[in-house]
Amino acid sequence: MAEKFISERNLKFLLHEVFRIEELTRYPYYEDHSKEIFDMILDTALKVSKDKLFPILEEMDTDQPEFIDGHVTVHPNVRDLMNEFGEGGWINANFSYDLGGQQLPLAVVLASRFVFFAANYSASVYPSLASGAARLIASFGTDDMKDLYLPNMFAGTWQGTMALTEPQAGSSLADITTTAEPTDGGYYTMRGQKIFISAADHDGVDNIVHLMLAKIKGAPAGVKGISLFVVPRERIEASGELVFNDVHVAGIYHKLGYRGAPIVQLSVGENNECRGYLVGEPNKGLSYMFQMMNEQRIDVGLGAAGIASAAYYAALEYTKERPQGRRMTEKDPTLPQVFIIEHADIKRMLLFQRAVVEGSLSLLLQCATYADYEKVMDGEDKEKYSFLLDLLTPVAKSYPSEMGILSVSQGLQCLGGYGYCDEFPLQQYYRDVRIHPIHEGTTGIHGITLLGRNISLNGGKAYRLYLDEVTATANDAREFPELAEQANELRDALDTLQDVTATLLEVRKKGNAELFTADATLYLELFGIISIAWQWLKQAIIIRKALQDDATGHDADFYNGKLTTFRYFFDYELPKIEGLAKTLKKHSGVTIAMNEPLFSD
Amino acid sequence: MNIVACVKQVPDTEALIKVKADGSGIEEGGIKWVMSPYDEFGVEEALKTKEKFGGEVTIVSIGPARTMETVRTALAMGAEKGIHIDDPALYNADAYATASALAAAIKGIPHDIIFCGMRAIDDDSGQVGSILAELLGLPSVTVITKLDIEGSTAKAIKPIEGAQLLIETSLPCVITAQKGLNEPRYASLPGIMKAKKKPVEVKKAADLGLTVEQKSTVAKMSPPPARPPGKIIQGDDPAAKAAEVIRLLREEAKVI
Repeated sequence: MAEKFISERNLKFLLHEVFRIEELTRYPYYEDHSKEIFDMILDTALKVSKDKLFPILEEMDTDQPEFIDGHVTVHPNVRDLMNEFGEGGWINANFSYDLGGQQLPLAVVLASRFVFFAANYSASVYPSLASGAARLIASFGTDDMKDLYLPNMFAGTWQGTMALTEPQAGSSLADITTTAEPTDGGYYTMRGQKIFISAADHDGVDNIVHLMLAKIKGAPAGVKGISLFVVPRERIEASGELVFNDVHVAGIYHKLGYRGAPIVQLSVGENNECRGYLVGEPNKGLSYMFQMMNEQRIDVGLGAAGIASAAYYAALEYTKERPQGRRMTEKDPTLPQVFIIEHADIKRMLLFQRAVVEGSLSLLLQCATYADYEKVMDGEDKEKYSFLLDLLTPVAKSYPSEMGILSVSQGLQCLGGYGYCDEFPLQQYYRDVRIHPIHEGTTGIHGITLLGRNISLNGGKAYRLYLDEVTATANDAREFPELAEQANELRDALDTLQDVTATLLEVRKKGNAELFTADATLYLELFGIISIAWQWLKQAIIIRKALQDDATGHDADFYNGKLTTFRYFFDYELPKIEGLAKTLKKHSGVTIAMNEPLFSD
Repeated sequence: MNIVACVKQVPDTEALIKVKADGSGIEEGGIKWVMSPYDEFGVEEALKTKEKFGGEVTIVSIGPARTMETVRTALAMGAEKGIHIDDPALYNADAYATASALAAAIKGIPHDIIFCGMRAIDDDSGQVGSILAELLGLPSVTVITKLDIEGSTAKAIKPIEGAQLLIETSLPCVITAQKGLNEPRYASLPGIMKAKKKPVEVKKAADLGLTVEQKSTVAKMSPPPARPPGKIIQGDDPAAKAAEVIRLLREEAKVI
């Protein structure tokens, strides 16, 4: 099995050369950090991944979680891993010092998570979920809540979850029915059903802390009546004793992939003894939850890019060792066969994977950098980074998720029949990566979010800021004649985007809301391709500068390999927006016109 | 207890090593440098000893500026302070010169026990720990997989062919660590943050009163010979092809 699952060189190239994260240390919030510290953290992440996560990748796929006597058992290493992530300070890495964290830039935390996800996605979601849930308590909980829950969640001894989905309410959270009835005791009595809750019960921790959406009795209908509660599996009595809190496991789901982490159905308050503790104000739960979900969405994009990265390196290794066929120009059948990496079509598949993986990672770290600057800036600058992050979150979640599937598929294809067999890891990666366009909001939902909400947010300000950012990169590329062609292509792509966006907004103006968002997923796809092209041009500018400084040997291959991948993206992927634009501008309405009876046969 | 751990920075085991064209050494560009894995066992044992008996751990290392990363890694694992001997005269030094420099540095600080890896994974010489002990006039127990300290006595297990030795010695002493001694911890994020502020003294050979003397030099470095390509035996007659295989195994490979 391939040993490599990520490119450390590329990760450090993005962090240091493209996004220059060391510049963050000029701001007081990050001043204790340095490039040396960031590198030591990444080195440690890689070491932990190689030693502890990657070796059990396959095992966690085959030895799936089990539901026994009302409880979920998981791979025995999960407990050790949670301890390691807790003691190592990974769960609270980007929390502030006053909460016991390390005030690390999100870019470094996410770069580390990318490594973990690539090594073993299932194993890495446990600490990542704990971190996200803790973030909600830290942001909106009372001091008592923070004292009660955060130390154990940060230590990895208590799992955190996000309990949103219900049997009748997944994408449509307005329809949740879990109820919270106020009492005089400072808590609410909770009752309802939750499904598809990740890591919502397992024996790798001592307690589970659900961050649960529910409606307080008498609350307004729809999303405006949703509140957020902390609902521990075992509640903590004043004496410190843990008491079962009437949160039952109704079952676990048997999944296509990502099998090392359980997805659980919960039955809450069967005996009317489940206590929930309100987080923040009543009826504001969804907006609170979105804070955590936005971070989790970036995480999902990272997960997809990570799995696609591991699949790429597995495929790459195979293509270097598998002899098959001869070059098209070689007609002598007695000559030895060449390794398949010699064939143009194999190289096309490898380039596609590298373009998706490294382009996606760049966009994700771009978003992380926006979040880091947003934290330390004031006024208009702060607003700018906040808007850009908000605008791009659905893109950074969906492009890697959707394209990750195609990328892994091409990796599998490189292995031919072996790719389809369990002797090689590609089939597992193919199954594992399939979750990402589904969880944390489906691609369809993100399309509607981008087109229906984000583009017009604050009078279209975020959208205009985005156009400015991409234009600025295209202008920066002018310095290098070798990049002029792609810079022009990116400018043309922006024109296409603006043209498409304007015609769609016109449809909305005319009052046709259904037609406006009918093809929002395609709009998201177009937006994603342009965003990745932007990131590739951004990288190419840095590489051109570096090559001017006369990189030799190892680095010259690295830079030239990236430049070729950049050219691949502009020659093979960016032109795909033209077909999308044609469809989007047609406002065909065929998907609206189609109806159920016509699907009868 | 005053505990010392000696560490060496070496190329990562996964690094692609290229010998310089003139055979004077390896190409260092693009190489990732790490702490030699046996030294990690030594650092871990040093930390465990400190956790059991109290005291502090000092890290000593020799090498160019990049070596500081490895010293900081050991500090991030939990050691208290470091000595980084950065002197061009000692870059690529032989075992004797290396041990002399380590001895010169360690003489100047209190030391109840000194840990080394049993060998560094780059030059595989395996001599530094023993020479260091000799220069300091201390007993040494090498290649150990278990260590118990009671009072001023150290009991160490050393595996040998088909058996293991239990060796008892007095402190202070030099211990060289073999795989199996322990499972080295990872640097924690808080540890990495703290490591930045821990003191590391950077010294030249002269600062230690040392004149560098090598007992051996590397005459030339060369990569192992490339494996000759495989041979495909052509022909239509299986019996003749089999006979040819036997002839080659007998006459060329000389294995039958």
